[in-house]
Amino acid sequence: MTHLLVVPFERPYLTRALVELLLLGGLAAVVGVFVLLRRLAFLTDALTHTVFPGVVVGFLIGGQSGIFPGALVVACVAAGLFTLLAATRRVAEDSALAILLTGFFAIGVVLVSRRSSYTADLTAFLFGRVLTVRTSDIVATAVVAGIVLAILAALRKELLLVAFDPESARAAGYRVAALDLALNLAIALVVVAAVRAVGTVLVIALIVVPAAAARLLSDRIIVITVVAAALGMASGWLGLLVSYQVSVDHGIRLATGATVVLVLVAAYLLALAVSLVRSVRLRRRHTASADEATATVAPPPVAEIGVGPR
Amino acid sequence: MRLWETLGDGYTRRALAEAVLVGILCGAVGVHVVLRRLSFLTTALTHATFPGVVVAALLGVHLVLGAGIFGLLVVGMVAAVSGARGGGGALPSAAPAGRGGRDLSSVTGVVLSGGFALGVALMSAQDGFTKDLTAFLVGSILTVDTTDLAISAAAAAVVLVVLAALRKELLLGAFDPTALAAGGYPARLLDLVVLVAVEVTVVTTVPAVGTIMAIALIVGPAATARLWCARTGPMTALSMALGVTAGVVGLAVSAQWDVAAGGAIVLTLAALFTLSLLVAPRARPLTARQPAGEPAAAG
Repeated sequence: MTHLLVVPFERPYLTRALVELLLLGGLAAVVGVFVLLRRLAFLTDALTHTVFPGVVVGFLIGGQSGIFPGALVVACVAAGLFTLLAATRRVAEDSALAILLTGFFAIGVVLVSRRSSYTADLTAFLFGRVLTVRTSDIVATAVVAGIVLAILAALRKELLLVAFDPESARAAGYRVAALDLALNLAIALVVVAAVRAVGTVLVIALIVVPAAAARLLSDRIIVITVVAAALGMASGWLGLLVSYQVSVDHGIRLATGATVVLVLVAAYLLALAVSLVRSVRLRRRHTASADEATATVAPPPVAEIGVGPR
Repeated sequence: MRLWETLGDGYTRRALAEAVLVGILCGAVGVHVVLRRLSFLTTALTHATFPGVVVAALLGVHLVLGAGIFGLLVVGMVAAVSGARGGGGALPSAAPAGRGGRDLSSVTGVVLSGGFALGVALMSAQDGFTKDLTAFLVGSILTVDTTDLAISAAAAAVVLVVLAALRKELLLGAFDPTALAAGGYPARLLDLVVLVAVEVTVVTTVPAVGTIMAIALIVGPAATARLWCARTGPMTALSMALGVTAGVVGLAVSAQWDVAAGGAIVLTLAALFTLSLLVAPRARPLTARQPAGEPAAAG
């Protein structure tokens, strides 16, 4: 078994893919915890799609190495626009997001459709090619990971306060809009880092799913963060392995990015089952204790963190 | 205008007819999506329908059939995981807050990415499939055939009749779900009717603009109309008109400058929305950034 788990990674391109996926899996999962607490899943999805024209323009101007800066510029613009839109409150936020998302995406599609290699390019941009990742891409990802983790660690307390109680954060004099912008930029950076490896469409899974699964298992933020990061990395490894083994041994080609996401979703379903079993047990114990002694106060059910809408 | 020059060709006329049909349908359904804030769920539906399209293509049945069945499955799953107990219904307006990792936003995210990944994985197992993949993702309205047109027309007719018949109840549910339930209406059933109507619309729209951009056709016209109208009647009418306009203008742009039709339609919608945002008279001035009731000293 260990033989199976390690041997494929003696090939250099698989080693590079593994390192990239481990980095991205861990990073995206940590950011995902904040996305989960603030219920920003839709914003994340929108950011992944809006990066698309940046990828296209970057590629048209500078080839492969132009993708990263192109995506970076557009992602920062989009994050700024979203923060602005959320602050003006003229349109329902979700409608505005949907229109921005598709509007940006359409620009990308229109630009790509002018090229002769239309379909091949589109597929590569949308789904990424983790197996052709280069050392320079890994370095870029590592740098982004360092920056994002530094931001999150430095603003940890403030971001959590805003997530749980925006009113008191505002009353205490924190600049909520600035904190929103910082978090949106962190999400945008992760999306940009992941674009080349897993494409614009599947990044959202790396961010949202590990944290959602971890949240099912625990109520403590620190535990959720650790479990989510571990889950993200493990899924990256397992997904890469499964896709490699199935492709080589059974002759069925299986896209690596998609396999990683499917492993993540399977982990979520497992966590869901565990939490359901747990809550049934808890309720049974709860009703039993309430029946036998009305005098003693029954233990409160597992405290739900007061995750409210932003 | 190159579009008018090619009007004699069958494919241009079919594309125009499809654009008009889809515009009317999306405009009407979009009003409910915008009023109920279902944009994210609709996005998830469009993405999660993707594997259904792939499976249908593999089995050789009509795309709309595969996508439709899969979409209903997804609606059921989201409703079951996120809104099984309490509140009543799968809609965020009624969903209880703070259900751990099972709140609507997270579940929708998981379903969305899972569905899309399944589609991509299925697709990658096939050789020489990239061409079709693109058609599903960004649509190809210029290649719709008479069958697609007939399906679109039938779907539009059914959905419009349902929406018109249940107009009052659906609007009450959008604005005050508690009153709807208290009034003795089957609130969850009505919520489900909305979701199914949205799903039918998504499935009908996919051949025209693809899975990713279908959401624009649904939300775009309605959100734009919302900026101009305060009443739902005029809003619906304007929304349908905008949907049709965007479809026709997008096709003209696409024919004129030889760009992807789906992208051109969506960009037209985005332009209409941006313009309305800037010039719409009603609503608060742009400078009012602070929400009402907030002390002026804060921030």
